Amino acid sequence: MFDWLTKESVLWIVPAAPLVACLWIVVVNQFVGRQRAHRPLVVAMFISWLAAICLATTIVPEKFAKGDHGHGEESHGAADHDHAAGHEHADHEHADHEHAAPAEEKTPADETTPEETTDEDEEESGAENAAVADSAPPPMAAGAAGDAVPVHEESSYGGELPRGVTYPVGNHAVVKFVYQWMKVGKVDVAVTLRADAMSALMLVMVTSVSLLVAIFAGGYMHGDPGYPRFFAAMALFVFSMCMLVLAGNFLLMFVFWEAVGLCSYLLIGYWYKKPSAAAAAKKAFVVNRIGDFGFILGVFMVWVTFGTLDFETLFGNPAFIPQVLNGIDPAIITTICILLFIGAIGKSAQFPLHVWLPDAMEGPTPVSALIHAATMVTAGVYLVARCAPLFVLSQTALGFVAIIGAITALLAAFTALTQYDLKRVLAYSTVSQLGFMFMSLGAAAADPVHLMQPAVTFAMFHMFTHAFFKAVLFLSAGSVMHSMGDVIDMRRFSGLKKVMPVTHWTFLAGAAALAGLPLLSGFWSKDEILAVIWDADRVPGYGLFFGAILAVALLASLMTAFYTFRAYFLTFHGPERFPEEAGHHPHEAPPAMAWPLRILGVAALLVGAIAGPTHLYAHYLHHTPGLPVSEPHGLNYVMMAVSSIIAIAGVGFAWMVYGKADRKAYNVQERYSPAYELSLQGLHLDAVYQALVVRPMQALSELSETLDRLFVDKLVDAVGYLPGIFGSLVRPIQNGFLQSYALVMLLGLVIFVFGVLRAIAGM
Amino acid sequence: MLMLVTIFLPLVAAGLMLFLDIRATPTRARWTALIATLATFFASLGLAGEFLRLPSAEGVARAPVQPRMELRHDWLTLERTDAEGNSQPMRLEFYLGVDGISITMIVLTTLLCVCGVLVSWTSITERAAEFFAILMVLETGLIGVFCAFDLVLFYVFFEFTLIPLFFLVGIWGGPLRRYAAGKFFVYTLAGSLITLLGLVSLVWQATLQTGLETPFSLPALSEALRSNPLPDSVQTALFLAIAAGFMVKVPLVPFHTWLPLAHVEAPTAGSVLLAGVLLKLGSYGFLRLLMPMLPSGCWDVGVPLIAVMSVVGIIYGSLCALAQDDIKKLVAYSSVAHLGFCMLGLFALNVEGISGGVLQMINHGLSTGALFCLVGMFYERYHTRSLSQLGGLATRLPRLATAMVLITFASIGLPGLNGFVGEILALMGMFDAQHEFGRVYAALGATGVVLGAWYMLAMLQTAFFGELKEPHHDDHAEPVQDLGFREIVTLAPLATLCVVIGLFPQPLLDIINPDVKALVTVLNNVSHPSTRATQAAAEDQSQFPATSSASFGIPADESVAVLHLVNPSPAQPRPANPGIGE
Repeated sequence: MFDWLTKESVLWIVPAAPLVACLWIVVVNQFVGRQRAHRPLVVAMFISWLAAICLATTIVPEKFAKGDHGHGEESHGAADHDHAAGHEHADHEHADHEHAAPAEEKTPADETTPEETTDEDEEESGAENAAVADSAPPPMAAGAAGDAVPVHEESSYGGELPRGVTYPVGNHAVVKFVYQWMKVGKVDVAVTLRADAMSALMLVMVTSVSLLVAIFAGGYMHGDPGYPRFFAAMALFVFSMCMLVLAGNFLLMFVFWEAVGLCSYLLIGYWYKKPSAAAAAKKAFVVNRIGDFGFILGVFMVWVTFGTLDFETLFGNPAFIPQVLNGIDPAIITTICILLFIGAIGKSAQFPLHVWLPDAMEGPTPVSALIHAATMVTAGVYLVARCAPLFVLSQTALGFVAIIGAITALLAAFTALTQYDLKRVLAYSTVSQLGFMFMSLGAAAADPVHLMQPAVTFAMFHMFTHAFFKAVLFLSAGSVMHSMGDVIDMRRFSGLKKVMPVTHWTFLAGAAALAGLPLLSGFWSKDEILAVIWDADRVPGYGLFFGAILAVALLASLMTAFYTFRAYFLTFHGPERFPEEAGHHPHEAPPAMAWPLRILGVAALLVGAIAGPTHLYAHYLHHTPGLPVSEPHGLNYVMMAVSSIIAIAGVGFAWMVYGKADRKAYNVQERYSPAYELSLQGLHLDAVYQALVVRPMQALSELSETLDRLFVDKLVDAVGYLPGIFGSLVRPIQNGFLQSYALVMLLGLVIFVFGVLRAIAGM
Repeated sequence: MLMLVTIFLPLVAAGLMLFLDIRATPTRARWTALIATLATFFASLGLAGEFLRLPSAEGVARAPVQPRMELRHDWLTLERTDAEGNSQPMRLEFYLGVDGISITMIVLTTLLCVCGVLVSWTSITERAAEFFAILMVLETGLIGVFCAFDLVLFYVFFEFTLIPLFFLVGIWGGPLRRYAAGKFFVYTLAGSLITLLGLVSLVWQATLQTGLETPFSLPALSEALRSNPLPDSVQTALFLAIAAGFMVKVPLVPFHTWLPLAHVEAPTAGSVLLAGVLLKLGSYGFLRLLMPMLPSGCWDVGVPLIAVMSVVGIIYGSLCALAQDDIKKLVAYSSVAHLGFCMLGLFALNVEGISGGVLQMINHGLSTGALFCLVGMFYERYHTRSLSQLGGLATRLPRLATAMVLITFASIGLPGLNGFVGEILALMGMFDAQHEFGRVYAALGATGVVLGAWYMLAMLQTAFFGELKEPHHDDHAEPVQDLGFREIVTLAPLATLCVVIGLFPQPLLDIINPDVKALVTVLNNVSHPSTRATQAAAEDQSQFPATSSASFGIPADESVAVLHLVNPSPAQPRPANPGIGE
């Protein structure tokens, strides 16, 4: 009966369920059962979540098996199967050895080291993946023998490629063609769903967080007049997000990239009567559009360079990109990567386009949790990870990614230190954590060949854990807001831990995970990011650059722990105080809100520990087609120790300032200083934008308008007057006086006679 | 037959109204007009149905400007004595036809006319019979342009549209209506006269070239010019002359200043048709006359000139829109920017770009038409269009606000709505175009996407969101009502089409594609001047080896794209035009 479920049809159920819910809410709940509009979404999300789980556990792994099967009976085919099934292995023991590998290498182009290293690895640790081969596999015909190709052999497509890049072989993606969208000339864009390991993991994250947030929102938004509108937009968002993840080509991805932006616009501006909400919505959309501008140009460049936008063509066959790029100016690939990354900067709120995200907190809190923390803003990370086969070819672009990530992580953490609005603290924290993810991706710049895989893995893993703990933090903040009568200023309430025990514990769970306290989710993922930066730091020639990045990362971690617990202590500790808006008796969240909080709280604590040290996530992700394969990457105990110390130090420091019993939270007058002011105002970036972009643009537009009215138009009028002026010049001749006409006639006659006489005289 | 009905039914209805029923009450007039325009709309749908049932044009090598359904009659035959003293007939024909591009424009026109009648339902009470009659006369003129396949007939219809619009603006317009109508009329007429000169000399040159019968029908003319192309210098001069009128009509910056003025003063229906259809006559002229007749002219002056003007139009129009307080003027300037996208696409001179440009013509008609309807609707309620006097209207007019949000997003090119497909194809076409600055134009044009979002959303934010702010009424007796049934019926088809075309553009593309392809074939026969020299050289060396892709070891399709990147000039030699170099 449920046979069809196990087939690839599950692929379309994931986005279709929320789409149906959206249409249902628009058509039916608009008129009937307005206050029950959350139900279709919750049901749809549940279906969608089941489908995503099904997709991630059965259907995509089925493809891995097929891919492996296609490549003969090499021993690691079986080993790979074990990993996919979640077997733990002896990675830990190899940690030191593995970290040493990149360091031993002199330059990325060094040809001997990787071979030895990986060969050892294969034998010792049972190999990592189906296709640990040293040179890029030659075109598919010889693909099966890929492993055996000696590294010194010139690959058939020239020497410009980074050598030693290896890729999983075989097609590990599930593709479903839906319909032909546009086909004109060379533009051939179909609506195609494509799931591989990376998108399956994304979908699990998106649907599970969405499901919980949908349930939460049912309670949170209760009684709001725009109830159906809210859930319709949420459903549309989940649909768009799933489609973004499943998009089978660049243009489709761009379509849903913009569509999630639209949903974000609609939901930030949900309370459209609030001028600040309307302004924030516009700001978010326009700033995102700036990023999209880069993205679309990147897409155009991909199109003209590769002649296709299809992910399957581009990434499915690992030999495709190197072949096409052979002999082409490497600047092209750098341009492509940077343009695509500009899109990511906009969507993932990276410096300098991050200014929209804090303002986006004007939207309802479930929206902030789902869109502006857990899912949509991570689309930029997903984009870069998805394009890893392109980024791996450009160290410059990766370095750029790292720099932007580092700047953002530090700036946002610095800004979060002093915010009083609980949601804004979390918003800046989100920006900062996204910066961490980009730092991780950018760390591959030191040695793209070997570091790309861990870089992508850990960025994606941090995104995964971050989704859970940031969602629980936001929802807890929402719960606080709900009971405090929509007051979110931490100066106006404190000591809520007695009144709101559930929220207190869930917030604490999220905060501890975010701060990176040992063994919790954030710890595992952040540690791995630090480890990969550390590895990058140890590549000769990049020590200084990545040393700086590492220092920034550590500093930002410290700040993270501090501001997270500052918020925690200010909100839940100290004397019990409530704002007037809260009414007489502030209450704990109703069950519809409390249960999602509990589940997310547990997830925030445990997700990292389940999927991190066991490498479940990493092994699964490594099946992504096109993702370069490198030697296994274990845990870095040094970084673990350092990051634990930092996290504990940050928490301890926050406790000393805000938590100690004798320091009443509300008494803490944060002393005014320029640095404090700078942090509170977010480095005055909004003012800078006003001065450097908005006002000049307004001035320019006023200027154009004036120019248009007073010059261009008047010029036309002037041309219009020309006949009149010309007429007025000759008009006096036609003055109606007989005498003057007679005079003119006479003159004419004289001239004529004179001329005739001259002619006769023969002169 | 259906074609004749489509064209002349509105004219007949208008004639009947004017001569038999000039004293009709507004109610009777508007019902008559509604029935007549609806009948025309269905006739055009029937025509489209007939068109779609034609045997598929796929795979058939088509000449450009070749109607797929036609109707021709001798109209007027003149005698001309050629150099040898033989007399040659000059046959002006009543030659109507439709091809893929024109059929879509015809349906758009008839649809917008129905909307125009509905939107004027209550706002026009004075001299209603005349108003609706003139509206329908305008409709005939517009459809006529799209059907005309004879040069003289084309020009007659083209100019004829000015007259009814002149009266619409001049009689039922706003306070500055006379000035606006006069300016609009004289400006566009002045442009068109240069076009006329150009067209006359085009025909003359064609006659000289062929030495045969003077071709006035567009297919014959294009055929004659294809087999005997004019020298490049002549093409350049003629291009400039003929383009003059079209550039004013489109309008391209800096010839646009009549447009905001005319829009602001025109009654709503006038604005809808002006923006929705009349502006397209300009771009249609480029498509129909200039591209097939003067391909080298298009490459030599068209590309640098028009592309630069379009890019300037996109940016400058957006900037001007950003500074507007009057919503109608804002939408008018946004038209300038959108038509910039359209022209940018057309002058990519490749299949993607031209298809995008044509789609953009249709999409702009739908979304801007709907925007002007909406602006008209709340002008009727508040008697102001000034952004500074309005605010938070979403609270009072939720349905109108919803429609406004949808149409705004269609207009700023949100994917999934119609604006996107046109813009993206136009930009992709330009990005891949055969001229050296194609990418620069495309990148600059794409900034319009950001600016477009900015000014449109700023308008939404000010007028519809935030605190409710309504202009002062004299009578507070009855509060302003949200959209009524009639208004929803007016907007529904436009909004639906915006969504449908956005999601499923392919059927529409399939309709226009054969004609676009035929056009591009002609354009490709003469490629960009910079490549012509190399081409000639390549031909001397007995063809550039087109086999270089073999060394890549990848399918030829991709290699073509790759080669483009290496060298913007096409590596695969195009069939050289025999005319050049002679």
